[in-house]
Amino acid sequence: MMHILDLQFGERIVTLMAALVLVLQIAMVAQRWIVLHIRIFAAQSFCLAMIAATIAWFNHAPHIYIAAALTLVVKVILVPILFERLMVKMEIHEEIEPFVNVPISVLIAGGLTLVGYVVAESFYKPDETGLGHNALAVAISLFLIGFFTMINRRKALTQVLALLSLENGLFLAAISLTYGMPLIVELGILFDVLVAAMVMGILVYRIRETFESMDVSLLRRLRG
Amino acid sequence: MMERLLESASQLFLLLLLSPLVTGVIRTLKARLQTRRGPGIFQPYRDLFKLFSKGMVIPETASWIFSATPWIVFFSTILAGLMIPMVAADAPLRLFGGVLAVIYLLGLGRFFLALAGLDSGSSFGGLGSSREMTISALAEPAMMMAIFTVAIGAGSTGLTEIAGAAIGQNWRFLAPAQMFAFAALALVLIAETGRIPVDNPDTHLELTMIHEAMILEYSGPYLALLEWAASIKQLVLMTLLINCFWPFGLQPTWFGFGAAQGIAWLVAKLLLISCAIVLIESVNAKKRLFRVPELLAVAFTLGSLALISTFLF
Repeated sequence: MMHILDLQFGERIVTLMAALVLVLQIAMVAQRWIVLHIRIFAAQSFCLAMIAATIAWFNHAPHIYIAAALTLVVKVILVPILFERLMVKMEIHEEIEPFVNVPISVLIAGGLTLVGYVVAESFYKPDETGLGHNALAVAISLFLIGFFTMINRRKALTQVLALLSLENGLFLAAISLTYGMPLIVELGILFDVLVAAMVMGILVYRIRETFESMDVSLLRRLRG
Repeated sequence: MMERLLESASQLFLLLLLSPLVTGVIRTLKARLQTRRGPGIFQPYRDLFKLFSKGMVIPETASWIFSATPWIVFFSTILAGLMIPMVAADAPLRLFGGVLAVIYLLGLGRFFLALAGLDSGSSFGGLGSSREMTISALAEPAMMMAIFTVAIGAGSTGLTEIAGAAIGQNWRFLAPAQMFAFAALALVLIAETGRIPVDNPDTHLELTMIHEAMILEYSGPYLALLEWAASIKQLVLMTLLINCFWPFGLQPTWFGFGAAQGIAWLVAKLLLISCAIVLIESVNAKKRLFRVPELLAVAFTLGSLALISTFLF
């Protein structure tokens, strides 16, 4: 009895946190300031780490704690610091200028969430009593909205941020479906993210050096 | 029958007296946060008293709408205030209508305010009216989505039933649908009460003003009625938000020892939400008018997600 109660409580916490993650993702689509964008990403990753820790606690799976702690260190602390330093170094002050204007982007994000739910519905088995099948819907939505945001942005730095939030969706799907991939895979992905963020940082810096702008549409022109 | 009357009278009393205090507390807290001393929390009462004892100027071009509007706005807001549960889940005028009636009574007041803005003949009035209507047309769908979410949860659009369903489920607001709806309604609250990312309540010397532009030509007792109605509307919306989502301390009925406890809880929750508003107002800059739809689009999306997720989760 106690165990079932616990599991229900865990389910509620995971659902709540997943909802928060989704709200933050939509806030990211609506955000115009890059600094706030980076901080919202950090907050989203923090919620994700909390979800991982909750799942680890209720499923007695200690290796997920390591994944949660790594998420906390890499995505909540290291990557935001890296990006904020990059911003200071490159003196970026301008606003994000999306291709599709913000109200319509937000509505599209809402529509994509709906698609995410419809897709996740087909994976759901009523007899299965696991944690967070809601989390899967949120994960698919994060994934779709992340893709959309990448397409929608002009500047390299914000595209990288969108890529990272997409990766958050992947992580959420992995922990909510399988209660964690093998630790070695998690480690690989996290280092991948860190390296990707660093390489992207250097790349963004080089784009800026060469073209005097971070606008990737300038990359179409070939230069010797 | 006698009890009903007593209930209505006490809620009316509470609405009239508490609403200037909420405005005063918000102003003082904001001043303190900006390291100013501020005018003191009772200043709105003094302002109202002063305005009521003054004469007034009515523009030559104005028709009867100009003089009727303050009364219509004031009484429709009061009526809306009597239809919401404040201290007890049992609202005094609940037989009169549910949450839709409350929203459209407030809408009636807004409609006449916009007409009066046009009627006064000054160019600022028309400007304010058109802005107010633009914003309310965008805020209303978001509000409706959030309200329907709450109503589906309770199985009724009657506010007494909604509050009654919320009592005893103190942690219900942690459900995702409720949380989305709460976020949407909070954004709408900011837009509807003319708080900072949308409108600046402190000044009528800006070209970007909305509410102040409509009532720019009013003076004396009429201005007092409109100011009072605005703070009652703010109180009504805040009470609606807190009693639908955090029903802590809400009593089933008005009478007995429960009423005092209910009032204490109400004041505590109002103070909390005032602090939140003060923080939001202090850390944000006013948005440009054409950026306001972005905020309301977020509110609408959250409201729709709330409604959808009541069926999915």
